[in-house]
Amino acid sequence: MKSVGSSPRRGGGLGRVTGHQQYLADIKLPDVLQVKLVTLPVARAKINSIDVTEAEALPGVAFVMTSADLPQPMPRFGPQFQDRPVLADGETKYHGEAVAAVAAETKEIAEEAVRLVKVHYDELHGGVYSVAEALADNPLLVQDPKLRGDSPLAHTNIIDEKHFGWGDIDSQESDLIVEDTFQFPMVTHFAIEPHGFMAAPDGDGIEIWSTIQHPYLLQKIMAKLLDMPLAMVRVHAPDPGGGFGGKQIPKLEPLIAYMALRAQRPVRLILTLDETFQTVRRSSAEVRVRLGFTENGVFTFQDIETNFLVGAYVDIADRVVSKSSYSAAGPYSVPAVKIIGRTIVSHTTPSTAFRGFGIPQISWARESVIDEAALRLGVDRLDIRLRNLARYREEFIPLEEADGDWEQTVRTAAKRIGWNDPLPPNRGRGIACGMKSGPTTGLSYSTVRLLYDGSAMVYAGTSDMGQGARTVFAQIASDELGVPLENIAVVMGDTAVVPYDQQTSASRSSVLMGTAVQRACQDIQGKVLTMATELYGINEDAVKTVGGRLLLPDREVTLTEVMQEALAPLGGEVIGNGEMRKEKDPNHPLGGTAAFFEFNCTASEVEVDMETGHVTLIKHVTVGDVGRSLNPKQVTAQDDGAAIQGLGHTLMEHYIFDDAGRVRNIGAIDYRILTSMDLPLEMHSESIENADGPGPYGIKGVSEGSLLVTAPAVGAAVREATGKVIRDLPLTPQRVWEALQEDENGS
Amino acid sequence: MNRFQYARPETVAEAVALLEEYGDDARLLAGGTDLVIELRNRWVEPKVVIDLKHIPELTPSITVRDDVLSISASTVMTDIAEDELVQRHFPALVEAAVVVGSVQIRARATLAGNICNGSPAADTSPPLLVYDAVVVIAGPEGTRRTPVDDFIVGPGKTSLGRGELVTAVELPIPQRPFGAAYTRLTRRRGTDLASITLCCGVDTDGHTRLAYGSVGPRAFLEIDDTGTLADPSVSIEEKVAPLDQLFHRASPSPKSLRASPDYRLAMLRVLGARALETALGRLTKEQV
Repeated sequence: MKSVGSSPRRGGGLGRVTGHQQYLADIKLPDVLQVKLVTLPVARAKINSIDVTEAEALPGVAFVMTSADLPQPMPRFGPQFQDRPVLADGETKYHGEAVAAVAAETKEIAEEAVRLVKVHYDELHGGVYSVAEALADNPLLVQDPKLRGDSPLAHTNIIDEKHFGWGDIDSQESDLIVEDTFQFPMVTHFAIEPHGFMAAPDGDGIEIWSTIQHPYLLQKIMAKLLDMPLAMVRVHAPDPGGGFGGKQIPKLEPLIAYMALRAQRPVRLILTLDETFQTVRRSSAEVRVRLGFTENGVFTFQDIETNFLVGAYVDIADRVVSKSSYSAAGPYSVPAVKIIGRTIVSHTTPSTAFRGFGIPQISWARESVIDEAALRLGVDRLDIRLRNLARYREEFIPLEEADGDWEQTVRTAAKRIGWNDPLPPNRGRGIACGMKSGPTTGLSYSTVRLLYDGSAMVYAGTSDMGQGARTVFAQIASDELGVPLENIAVVMGDTAVVPYDQQTSASRSSVLMGTAVQRACQDIQGKVLTMATELYGINEDAVKTVGGRLLLPDREVTLTEVMQEALAPLGGEVIGNGEMRKEKDPNHPLGGTAAFFEFNCTASEVEVDMETGHVTLIKHVTVGDVGRSLNPKQVTAQDDGAAIQGLGHTLMEHYIFDDAGRVRNIGAIDYRILTSMDLPLEMHSESIENADGPGPYGIKGVSEGSLLVTAPAVGAAVREATGKVIRDLPLTPQRVWEALQEDENGS
Repeated sequence: MNRFQYARPETVAEAVALLEEYGDDARLLAGGTDLVIELRNRWVEPKVVIDLKHIPELTPSITVRDDVLSISASTVMTDIAEDELVQRHFPALVEAAVVVGSVQIRARATLAGNICNGSPAADTSPPLLVYDAVVVIAGPEGTRRTPVDDFIVGPGKTSLGRGELVTAVELPIPQRPFGAAYTRLTRRRGTDLASITLCCGVDTDGHTRLAYGSVGPRAFLEIDDTGTLADPSVSIEEKVAPLDQLFHRASPSPKSLRASPDYRLAMLRVLGARALETALGRLTKEQV
């Protein structure tokens, strides 16, 4: 029976739901020191001195780590710019930035000692908390120009300004031009498992445990910081309990590593949920969109300016800006496009990758402005999208082609929502389209071992943080080797055991690592085929490999049977290696073409309580072009999950700051995410499957599509119900009510 | 969490003695759903925590005597919400009890604790005010009873004196048809703290009792005896103005993260009208 295309029980699923899975925090290291961070109750402060005497005198405290205990100058790191210090360097640049860390025998002692650390500091007044403040004349500079190298923008808060586009927007003749600016709030990933870090000296090297999505990136960064060979840095990456991009890039691992080396003992830091708010977030954005149309609603041009407020250190945010801005015009065929994208630093929590990677911010603005144009032109909001959608295989962005029948996706969503059905009172519908570029480069290796008894082990450096990578890799191996799923072990999360994988991001793993696994299995098939030719004295041409079986001239044998016969009596195994590269393209502005696009159409029907502003989601439909569902249940679950996460930033999630740059709603009480009771009354996630993707069996990546355009779909539905355009997210009851109070003049 | 003594008295008298001895340095533990968080975050640093769960006089119970329903101090929200007597006579209290915290919290949190905690947003305060509940208090001078309206004072404050603790909450069973409804304003449908709590009760003699919380230092009770609000034949439009007057004590904080003062004041009117309608509907049903 074929495993691919079915939905077997999830690998590791039982452990997750019964509490047996060993998350990082469940791993007990002997003789471990517990770490707690010392932070300040202000956003910006100049640190004058830190007195650790009293804290270190507390019985059970090993030491307090301050910046003075680190190599000088302060070591800095980051995936793109080496701007993040291991500890605050003389100054805190955002609320919650650690200035010191206590190592103690127990967490309770560490907590007690944190209160005894005397940080003498002066609060620095004023700060850059908004795009306007960052771009003001003679702004306060968030980053020291000396750290900006030879950047011509070193004396601004702009890390980089990207210019993309094609055609000449000024020479286009338009019947209608619509312009508007939309805001997208700061939101956090809210993975149920908070970030955790452990480190232990290991001879001349170091072992690090992290909830990281990219163990090999962590290994590389640590080797460089500690000046150790890669072989001496071993990263353990147990399956994270949710990542969503927030666990891609190293954060506090360097601090923990320096502390372990100082202590010459294992050390451990598990963040609280509150601390994760001050560790990761999505970049907020202000997006200005100017669109030109013919009277029939056909695009004449798009002019888009994105200003992303990325926080105090750049992390991976500059890549978020370039990648999302590059495809800011969306899945449409547009004759002329001009895009300016800015990466802007601020005195706020550093932002990082987050499911959707910048696209939700831009599509919120673009799709909302398309709706405005449709209404003014008297064109149906579905039709205006269908008229402009890029055709299958059309080069709709230079060097990028539409890799799916996107019209089929849109029509499916429209049908599912009942686009033309009559609307009951106080109801509205919205529809929106978006797409996100998959990985532009990639490198994944896999090793697969067919063991003597016919079971198999798959080694894959992907992190399974809930997306189900373990299951799909096992499914691929099962079909390719003819080994039952339950006899396959998938080994992940240890750089000393599992070969290199670039990263777990951009919905890449099924496509890239999946291909590497498939190729490793094919390597085994080839080796077994050679065994068969030798065993049976036949020619290679006389044998055909189908899945896990060999078709000999006279009979059919399994790979396992051939292997066992060939390897007897000593036993042994057959080892296969697979590699998947997605090479760089130096001519591409992003350094490479998209391996695939995640194209999604979301349609939503809402009912608005006109007295209170409460929005009830009556029906929410997302349809994605997935190429093919390797595991339909997992694909649907991914889409459901993404849609729900998107409904969070659409309806209720946002950081609230006070005037001094402090986050006021840290934690689960006043930062609200959806509960099961807040879900749409009806929810559908569907897949379009034309087997036209680059991955094994024609798959494309999935997991981000369903939140790319949640906000504009729901926003359009609220607009239809209320007649009001709301330009800020989330669409809280209060914000909808306030919009309802506005008169026709908008005041 | 700081270090504290843990006491487990077996009589109310012992608990009272400990409370007298330690005064503000003592904290009572019943459900612990507020206390444990406060201890963990060091918002309170008591010298002694007095566990009330082993005092037989306070064992969870809901009983009726002489037309008074008595809920003992350690009775939890889940049990209150599931009790048939409470459901029959005090449906608005059930509506409030089932939205306190989450399922897990309701299995631990007590009614007495909810009012003793003194949160202006306590869900059960408005229905207790509307139902004219009486708080039974044990202290050094013996037992006293006080209307819940006098018991609630302000944020974190009650009229409990040194050495006093709540042993029960009593609700007089309405002797005439009485319709009541509880409603609240939250940011989401799932577990949330209320931005407005509101309960309205009406009887056939034209009395309207309306209590609302989370928009000032405490929940307030207003009584309208004009008969206008309780008259089902008067349109809701005509009730807007008299209803509005009942909210004259509302003073929502501009610092709140949950909702702006303007929004809360507007929603008081909306929720007030809706609760009144529901209460009147229930009153009509009672009379059938």
